[in-house]
Amino acid sequence: MSQLLQVVELCKSYRKQLGLFRQTRVQALDHINFTLSAGQTLAVVGETGSGKSTLAKLLVGIEQPDDGEIRLSGQAVTLSNYRKYNHVIRYMFQDAERALNPSQKVGAMLDDVLRFSTVLDRQQRQQRILQSLQQTGLLDEHINFFPHMFSAGQLQRVALARALILEPKILILDEALTVLDPTVRAQIVNLLLDLQQQQGLSYLLISKNLRLVRHISDHCLVLQDGRVVEEGPTEQLLDRPQHPHTRKLMGLS
Amino acid sequence: MVLLDIRNLTLELETSQGLIRAVDRVSLSLREGEIRGLVGESGSGKSLIAKAIVAVLNQRWRIKADRFHWRGEDLLQLPFDQQRRIIGRDIAMIYQEPSKCLDPTATIAEQLHESIPTDGLPGNWWTKGRHKRKKAIALLHKVGIKEHQAVLDSYPYQLSEGVCQKVMIAMAIAKSPKLLIADEPTTALEASTQAQLFRLMGSLNQLKGMSVLLISNELDSIARYTHRLSVLYCGQLVESGDTARVLAQPLHPYTDALIKSVPEFQPDLQPKKPLFALPGSIPTLQHLPVGCRLGPRCPNARKECVHTPVLERKQHHYFSCHFPLQYKEPR
Repeated sequence: MSQLLQVVELCKSYRKQLGLFRQTRVQALDHINFTLSAGQTLAVVGETGSGKSTLAKLLVGIEQPDDGEIRLSGQAVTLSNYRKYNHVIRYMFQDAERALNPSQKVGAMLDDVLRFSTVLDRQQRQQRILQSLQQTGLLDEHINFFPHMFSAGQLQRVALARALILEPKILILDEALTVLDPTVRAQIVNLLLDLQQQQGLSYLLISKNLRLVRHISDHCLVLQDGRVVEEGPTEQLLDRPQHPHTRKLMGLS
Repeated sequence: MVLLDIRNLTLELETSQGLIRAVDRVSLSLREGEIRGLVGESGSGKSLIAKAIVAVLNQRWRIKADRFHWRGEDLLQLPFDQQRRIIGRDIAMIYQEPSKCLDPTATIAEQLHESIPTDGLPGNWWTKGRHKRKKAIALLHKVGIKEHQAVLDSYPYQLSEGVCQKVMIAMAIAKSPKLLIADEPTTALEASTQAQLFRLMGSLNQLKGMSVLLISNELDSIARYTHRLSVLYCGQLVESGDTARVLAQPLHPYTDALIKSVPEFQPDLQPKKPLFALPGSIPTLQHLPVGCRLGPRCPNARKECVHTPVLERKQHHYFSCHFPLQYKEPR
């Protein structure tokens, strides 16, 4: 099996100013190791402040790791080849409503993504935009829509279209499904599962909703204070949680 | 005894595009000591109903109801002062997003002291302050906060969302209300804190006989804790009845879809298999369909569905659908 993403001994700490001269370091991530193969879903579970979002930020390159390596198909990535790497991992934000520019039409927004990171000409870009809208179940005329004209479920689809337009291999879903209404969430989950089956997309799912994690993910990683306390195949882990923290997250103790 | 008895509550908003009926003839009755769940997606009017009960809707809303009784008194007919007095005495509400509902400029101690009614305290006026402080600490202990002094001295932004939510509950139960309305109390919280809060509300319900109206958009998170359930869609009441019965035997297609879309209620469903989902999306308030509002999305909609169905009843199980799902024999 090909290892698409490999994370080796990843560390990240933040400086926190306590007074004029005193400061401490907060270890957000502490020697994280995991691998993700194509077509698989890895779930990252943890409390707030356990380093879930920091991990996502490091993976997409918003922040730089202090130590350790991120390897994509065996090759270590650094921020110097950021543009290339940007194609492979895409990020979906928690609240689609706030992650989209309210004064920009959907077509222009998707066009910006393509102009920034591809060399396609105008016509090719247009084609790609329509294709990605279709892929996520939207219509061609939605190009001329502003974000406020969509419902919450459709906005999530627009965000998904923006993520998929560069044909990534890995999609990071940072609580992207938690805020949705149940019936809309079921639609988006079906869409994501479909895409995974057709195109072999990998997902990194960051979520608090363990029921959803059980349904979607293959592997699960439990974080506490930046450390991995438990990991394994989801079903096995959630059926027989070993670590007390996992049990606490599941509301068992 | 019936605490709250609402029949055909209609909430309308006047806009430039005409009258919008956000809540359409919803009936709700709550008995003493009952935990009632109110489930619906965003825009279904559940928060509006809660706000109508505590009468904090602003002036633009038109409230109409055939009956709006609180312990036998019609709240809508009462003069404003009296209405406020009754609601202030008997009903407490926890709002969404607790950290934003607390006053950011005052410490928790100040806010909590303010919510404790002075009348119920023992002693003379010069000892009231001391009793109030004692009561505040006791309240915090009751909601499961152990480091009371640290919490009392801090401002809301210094506390986590879960602790803020607990403080809100402490403020709500300070006057020992008859009814506690919890508007999406657990959306921002983690599973462990969620379970704690529900246990807390459950114990208050059992020990003090306090009724709870739990409002949520997720059926699965509240189903375990409620006795009875009302399901709303786009301002219409689609189904209500005993929780166990509604979950086992939904009569309305929407309730059925809601149950089927949650993996937890589908033990036979293999991981990674598609979930059941209704097509389409929730209509906006400006473009509501006529008749049954589920109509355009409903899998078994027919011609008759352009007329609003009336609320029918089948042994304490209410539903409003022309073509209820077939009764299946329990296996």
